[in-house]
Amino acid sequence: MMTADMQGWGVWLALSAACIGTYVCRAAGVKLSGHIHQDSEVFRWLSAVTYAMVAALTVRMILMPLGLLATVPVLLRVVICALSLAVMVSSPQRRLVPALLTGTLLMLAYGVFRTSP
Amino acid sequence: MSRFANRREAFWQGIRDALGAPVLVLFAGMVGFGAMGRSHGFDAWMTGLTSLLMFALPGQVVMLEMFISGSSLLAIGFAVTLTSTRFVTMVVTLFPQLHRRDRNPLLYLWVHMLAMTAWAVSMREFPRMSAQHRLNYFIGLALPCWLISPMGTVLGYFVAGWVPAAVTLGLVFINPLFFLLTFTDVKPWANRIAIGLGCVLGPAFYLLDADSSLLLTGLVAGSLAYWVDRRWLRPRPVEVQA
Repeated sequence: MMTADMQGWGVWLALSAACIGTYVCRAAGVKLSGHIHQDSEVFRWLSAVTYAMVAALTVRMILMPLGLLATVPVLLRVVICALSLAVMVSSPQRRLVPALLTGTLLMLAYGVFRTSP
Repeated sequence: MSRFANRREAFWQGIRDALGAPVLVLFAGMVGFGAMGRSHGFDAWMTGLTSLLMFALPGQVVMLEMFISGSSLLAIGFAVTLTSTRFVTMVVTLFPQLHRRDRNPLLYLWVHMLAMTAWAVSMREFPRMSAQHRLNYFIGLALPCWLISPMGTVLGYFVAGWVPAAVTLGLVFINPLFFLLTFTDVKPWANRIAIGLGCVLGPAFYLLDADSSLLLTGLVAGSLAYWVDRRWLRPRPVEVQA
């Protein structure tokens, strides 16, 4: 696992590489955005592409998570999401915070239930 | 009729909108990340700086995971950059909505504070305000989100271990849940279809190739959704008679 070397310069180099890579993507967006109008077809297409990417990322975090969330049965994760969505759309004004709390507290309750004998 | 009297008012509204779900979501996600850095044996400084300088949670997680598994620096840089490609289109869909006067080189500074949270909220709120107020609103919204992140990370790093697992579980779950919930606020049909297709195709492409799956899903699902919308759903442009 961890070696002494890993805590040394290697980890800082990895961090630098990751930071540069991420910032380059942001900067490329600024550069490209200078040539795009918000009522153009390219803009509409890119919006759809972005929403698809964000959706894929979200679903990945829910269905194929890394770490602690992976220990919760997938069916339970999906059911809690469905209940939170129901709270969210139950009002035309959108109940974001109550919906977030519903999901979080249900997950917390499951965690408590699981650890109690 | 303008929603704000001036740019300062737009900035403070951004701050107010940030101090609710968005800050909560980032804080929770970053507490989870800090705890992860601790359990993987990373240094507190390095874990906190990752949140300040990279400020892209999925990329941060990928970096930690790959570093632990002993991947090469080049592979780490490449994989993280691939997961961050979403920023290119996020910026490209957000910044053209700013006023022409604000579209200057300073944007290279502000763009660092852009994350999925501020993007989702801005995409919803921008159409409800005039163009000259949008940048200030965005800065007010994104700045607290960015600043809370290293704080959450360092806190998560130090409380990891003595916070019950149930609490951590709730915190880690807030992140994906928030994005899922914001999808219900998306109005254009092309984007709604894109979300639906992305949810289905995303996991499929992830099983094929994890690194490039986001980009691939975006291109395939997004293009398909755009085409369906253009072909069938959009009202036909009225023919102008000569």
